[in-house]
Amino acid sequence: MGVGATHIDHIVISSNDSAATASLFATNLGLEIRRTMSRPGTGAHMEFAKLGEVVLEFGGPPHPVPGAEVKANLWGFVLAVKDMQQAVGSLQTAGYQTSEPRPAVQPGALITAVRGGTHGVPFALIQYNALPIKETAQ
Amino acid sequence: MKLKKIDHVGIVVKSLAEGVATFENNFGFRANPAKGGEVPALAMRNAFVPVGECDLEFIEPLSADGPIGKFAAERGEGVFMLSLAVDDISAAVEHLRGLGARVGDPNNGVAFVSMKSTHGVNLQLVQRS
Repeated sequence: MGVGATHIDHIVISSNDSAATASLFATNLGLEIRRTMSRPGTGAHMEFAKLGEVVLEFGGPPHPVPGAEVKANLWGFVLAVKDMQQAVGSLQTAGYQTSEPRPAVQPGALITAVRGGTHGVPFALIQYNALPIKETAQ
Repeated sequence: MKLKKIDHVGIVVKSLAEGVATFENNFGFRANPAKGGEVPALAMRNAFVPVGECDLEFIEPLSADGPIGKFAAERGEGVFMLSLAVDDISAAVEHLRGLGARVGDPNNGVAFVSMKSTHGVNLQLVQRS
């Protein structure tokens, strides 16, 4: 049956200095960095650019080591699904382990990590419009 | 230079048949029978699985000597490469070289950017007709 993926939602590029790697890609390739944030809880520094329907996510530590050579690599990707419950059920039926779906950093979205069985590719599933979006005070 | 979209994500697998079967049987994808095959010049064979506007390219090394085989030997299976679609490959290469990046000459609409110019990310540019 499958997970009902509609598209690759985002591709994660891990770097020991995600701001520097995002800046390099923006400068050389003309990508527009549309969002910068610290991940709640870990403080990881994240920057996001969009290319077509796919978000490029640059993630790294909150405080890069000054002067260290910048090293980055393609880490994995996230598939957008229409129905997280169906997708997780389908994978579990096929013998996969998945994490408990949790709120993603994207407002209103749920995300689940798929554990193993993906030929060395870390990836996760995301469903948008899965949760009510909390309004913030202006 | 104008980037159009992510063209595909390259994934190195030990067995092309097993890699594709995993994603077809468990994730509901279907390989595109019109794309892929053996690429002797790169000592690899590949298959493309469309996901939205992008493809997943599954790549099996046919030799330990080529770049795919070396990646597989060092890191095993995993995400190998990001391919970006551009509108004009020659202009894109010229643009990047002008910024000091090391880029191979375009060949059949494809050019590879040196990992020394990308913080280590394996990047390919491709112009689709």
